[in-house]
Amino acid sequence: MPDTFVEVQNVAKRWNGQLGVEGVSLSIPRGSFVALLGPSGCGKSTTLRLLSGLELPDEGRIIIDGKDVTTAAPSERNLSMVFQSYALFPHLSVAENVVFGLKVRRVPAAERREKLKRALEITGLLGYEARKPGALSGGQRQRVALARAIVANQPLCLMDEPLSNLDAKLRASVRKDIKKLQLDLGITVVYVTHDQTEAMSMADHVVLMRDGRIQQSGAPEDLYYRPANTFVAEFVGAPPMALIDSAMLPGFERATMIGLRAESLRLAEAGKGRLKCRVSECEFLGSETFVGLTHPGARGLTISMPGLRHIPAGENLEIDFADEDLHFFDAEGNRLRHPNGVTV
Amino acid sequence: MSGLTRHIETFGALLLAVIWISPLVFAVWAAFHTTSDAVNFNIAAPWTLDNFRTAWAGAPWLRYFLNTFLLVTVILIGQFFVTTLAGFAFAQVRFPGRDIVFLLVLMQLFILPEVLIVENYVMISRLGLFDTILGVGMPYMASAFGIFLMRQAFKGVPIELHEAARVEGCGWFGILWRVYVPLARPTYLAYALVSVSTHWNNFLWPLIVTNSPDTRPLTVGLSIFGAPENGVNISVISAATIMSVAPLLVAFLVFQRQFVQAFLRAGIK
Repeated sequence: MPDTFVEVQNVAKRWNGQLGVEGVSLSIPRGSFVALLGPSGCGKSTTLRLLSGLELPDEGRIIIDGKDVTTAAPSERNLSMVFQSYALFPHLSVAENVVFGLKVRRVPAAERREKLKRALEITGLLGYEARKPGALSGGQRQRVALARAIVANQPLCLMDEPLSNLDAKLRASVRKDIKKLQLDLGITVVYVTHDQTEAMSMADHVVLMRDGRIQQSGAPEDLYYRPANTFVAEFVGAPPMALIDSAMLPGFERATMIGLRAESLRLAEAGKGRLKCRVSECEFLGSETFVGLTHPGARGLTISMPGLRHIPAGENLEIDFADEDLHFFDAEGNRLRHPNGVTV
Repeated sequence: MSGLTRHIETFGALLLAVIWISPLVFAVWAAFHTTSDAVNFNIAAPWTLDNFRTAWAGAPWLRYFLNTFLLVTVILIGQFFVTTLAGFAFAQVRFPGRDIVFLLVLMQLFILPEVLIVENYVMISRLGLFDTILGVGMPYMASAFGIFLMRQAFKGVPIELHEAARVEGCGWFGILWRVYVPLARPTYLAYALVSVSTHWNNFLWPLIVTNSPDTRPLTVGLSIFGAPENGVNISVISAATIMSVAPLLVAFLVFQRQFVQAFLRAGIK
């Protein structure tokens, strides 16, 4: 385990008795890219704000770079932040926005100019120094926000849904830019998003939250291949994991729910499949088609078929799958060991 | 039919404009003519600048101009200082009793300043500011209207900007100075216009609290100049009046567009 850079110990934050986050513990290695993932209202943004110092926890401790910063002001934590709305100062030009923090911290003008130039170079904003944020496109504003975050060379950068205001095409390219930037600069990034594709593709480590609690924390592949509970199973992956009542599949009575990914399903000949389903819809994605299936004892069943397929809704299909592709969950929805001991 | 109503509206607006501007037009007319020509509306009468010469020689106008200028400046600076800090506190600082205190400040709007003249007079005398420009300006510095205006302007600043400035290392005053004040510029401009024109024209309070030509603003100087015991000469008084209002008038004509825009942007009409 590389050295821990950010350590969150059992942190809780409540508003008038309402739950913000509860019992959040995290350990973030130096130079890693951590995504806080979850549906809206799950506490991911609160967690980020607790890290930034914009909110102070009611319980627990936060340690950054070996220093206890639980109650320290945001400016004492040596971090930068990218806001969802970018939070660019509309009355300042691009250059003034980027060096705002340097100016506040009284960095000499010559050094400021040098850092500004470097930050603009990295973000591809050279030539836009004198523009006001109002005269920039959404993507450019986003890059100004990034430039402001990296200009001071802070070792920790917090990002709060920085891509949610961009259109889908731009989002994909900026995603790569941010990832590259993080690797080049060697900074630690904590990234909040509700988009699991973003989290899975960018992060070394994904923290999935719900209702103020961490559901699972691990590498993207852990969340995908070994979901800790049914919430994780149904949140991660496109399409998410299907859940089947164990009563539908003889031999697995120890589990309550059985999970199954779309890619593990195979079409079977009539009479030879393990489940009989009805086609509800077809979703054509180019290289493959997701065929949505309904079954009285299952939800979210989808089978992935190569190329363009068109199966009329209402048609009956039989599906087959291998035992080792199954995931098992108990009555509380928690993951169970595989009965055959194949996977954990 | 709609054409007719439009004409009536235009006519009404013109009529109102004429009624509004007629005293000023008459003052201009009278200022440039001899008294008898002015009151007889003798269109062909020759124009003259004699009235201005007489008026200018009749009172220390330069001193009055300076006094008025200093007065509106002092008041404006004091108001900016107080309303900025108070508005920021009411908008963004959490402290117990904030809403009640703000309500008390708003109550000030219901009290006519004239009601407080005696009380203010006593207070100014006790502070030893009687017959000083600071004394004339002091009662207006903690303007409830200004505090309300600034609070609204500061409340309209997105909270992310506040937070971004905090993360970048700004303290309370840094945030106020670098984020809130620049973003509230249209409001400051609009408020400055209201404040300057109000206090340029203010009469009753300066009349009571000033006692010498060294502190007297234009309005008071003009009223003494035009007082019946000095003999009534409508042309000379008109000339003096035109001189008094000219700076504001010229400023308004020059900055007309900015004025209107500032008010629109500040959201007050």
